[in-house]
Amino acid sequence: MTTLSAYFLPRDLHPAAWWVWALGLATAASRTTNPWLLAVVIAVVCFVVVARRSDAPWAMAFRMYLWLAALVVVLRVGFRIVFGGGEGGTVLVTLPEIPLPAWAAGIRLFGAVSAESLLGGLYDGLRLATMIVCIGGANALANPKRLLAAMPSALYEVGTAVVVALSVFPQLAESVQRVRRARALRGNRAKGRKALRAIVIPVLEDALDRSLQLASSMDSRGYGRAGAATVQERLASGTLMVVGLIGVCVGVYNMLDGTTPRVLAGPALIAGIVVAMVGFTLAGRRVARTRYRPDRWRLAEVVTAFSGIAVAVVLLATSRVDPANLNPSLTTLSWPQLAWAPLCGVLVGLTPAWLTPPPVVGENETPLQETAA
Amino acid sequence: MIRRLLGSVAASIALVVAGAVAPASAIDPGKGQPGFCRDDSGVTVVVDFGKLGGGVVVRCAPRGSGTGLDALKGAGFQIAGVQRWGESFICRIENRPSAKEKVPVAGNPDYRERCVDTPPASGYWSYWHASNGGRWEYSQWGVKNRTVIPGGFEGWSFSLNASADANPAPRVAPTRPGHAPATAPAQGGDAGPTSDDPDETQAPAGDDASDSGSSADDGTLPKPRPREKRTAPTAVPTPGDPADDVPFSDGTDRGDVETALREESDVGTYAPWAAGGAVALLGVLGALTARRRRTARDGR
Repeated sequence: MTTLSAYFLPRDLHPAAWWVWALGLATAASRTTNPWLLAVVIAVVCFVVVARRSDAPWAMAFRMYLWLAALVVVLRVGFRIVFGGGEGGTVLVTLPEIPLPAWAAGIRLFGAVSAESLLGGLYDGLRLATMIVCIGGANALANPKRLLAAMPSALYEVGTAVVVALSVFPQLAESVQRVRRARALRGNRAKGRKALRAIVIPVLEDALDRSLQLASSMDSRGYGRAGAATVQERLASGTLMVVGLIGVCVGVYNMLDGTTPRVLAGPALIAGIVVAMVGFTLAGRRVARTRYRPDRWRLAEVVTAFSGIAVAVVLLATSRVDPANLNPSLTTLSWPQLAWAPLCGVLVGLTPAWLTPPPVVGENETPLQETAA
Repeated sequence: MIRRLLGSVAASIALVVAGAVAPASAIDPGKGQPGFCRDDSGVTVVVDFGKLGGGVVVRCAPRGSGTGLDALKGAGFQIAGVQRWGESFICRIENRPSAKEKVPVAGNPDYRERCVDTPPASGYWSYWHASNGGRWEYSQWGVKNRTVIPGGFEGWSFSLNASADANPAPRVAPTRPGHAPATAPAQGGDAGPTSDDPDETQAPAGDDASDSGSSADDGTLPKPRPREKRTAPTAVPTPGDPADDVPFSDGTDRGDVETALREESDVGTYAPWAAGGAVALLGVLGALTARRRRTARDGR
């Protein structure tokens, strides 16, 4: 019982676990255009985010990703209407077609809009939207600052820049809220352009102040130190890293594509990882730093990461063994069919909603009320 | 009362669903006629499964006008386009190559056609046409950009690991039995594109004509190759000697595509309902959880 309660003691999970989970779901989504499966993936991600996110600003940005995903779907369907949605036989509505000169043969504007082409746009857009939602889920659940702490030493400087960039938007949002609250307390309730000026200038000033403060504090902590490596050493480690990362990119692309030669998939990925690792080790040797309170990889992290990997594995196996329903045909208009195996596989992704410790609520919250008052 | 209402709603939904998935016969007996066309008003469509195995099917589309796509569908064949370009690029005919079937293309013996993007150059349906008594011509136009030759032929032949010059022509000579023209066939049949239909030629990925997806990029469509100048490649038989034909069928013995799809994958009849239910349930649970967490935070 004590071990169980220790397991569920509120804490933030290792950010890499959330990323592995989300990337597993995104990989699964990339293999299918079946709207049932994609809808379930989106529902799973949303539910886990709602159940396990903290109150930090990045966790509250999940809504933005949902809007972005909706925009992708709307655009894809919209383009099908604008540029000739006449595929297939079930014409829903016939819009007046804009005649184009002969040199524009091959492009059609408006005209007949069929259910098949709209659904084609919907399925296609839904796949990209699902992947966006997965990435948004990872961003909402994983603490980017803790992720930086877990980075390899060689990537430390790049990682610092990334984290500073990532925390810009939440900080701006917080600044705006703070300034507006302060104005309200002073009884200044002007609206329109005047109000905008009265908000923008303090916010910009605030941003400048903060970045100067951040720069000096980073400087005093020894960031940006060049180290004691020779030019040759830096060149060698840099080349290894870049070549390795290109190998990883090629490998991952071919792994996910499925139509390319298999030689470029697994072997390229492994070779790329090995080369990049050598580069990281070489580069990391010259960055000496210690780690304060490292995140530990415990059972809950394993459960989370494995649930994501399991979803990806089930979908990859399905695309090898039983791929008929992963990309539903739109030739005859019908409800897309679905097999049980991939559906159950995707539902495995729900595990972290219950089998992880709840997040620490309140600690990350910036004390808005206090500063404003 | 409510239960009965729900029951009738469910029944009507089930009815709608059942209607929507009503099986479309593979070779639609309501469309087209078996075998060659008997007169000049129709278009004979020859589908050669080639190295996929499955022989040759010959059927007639009674309407001798419209695009190549109209003829193919009009003859009763069931086709699938690719998801990216729709029916502009024919990906499957009669569910071949099916999603489950291995197509041993060069460099990837385990390749399976997903019909999401343009199929590879080493395994795709090549598109041919011919006038009656003429010889098979590889079409330089897409299936939606060609008008058919009344009384002529439309050919589809699966090209597996063939070079661009050695694409296999359909193995049935384009001559209607008993109607071989006494004189050389008219040359007027090689019609240009119909102006209003978008899209590319039926050329596989890797061919620059289709890679961009739209032939509008360079402004002009490629000119059809004049028939006289064509240096007869070895794979194209000199005009039609029906004696060289491989045995062909009229396709009526082929199984139903929808049934085949259902059988080849272990489709769960209730799996889509379960998926929809899961989405709804997760939505409700998510809303409840969000509310619980909000009250907990505000009450803190």
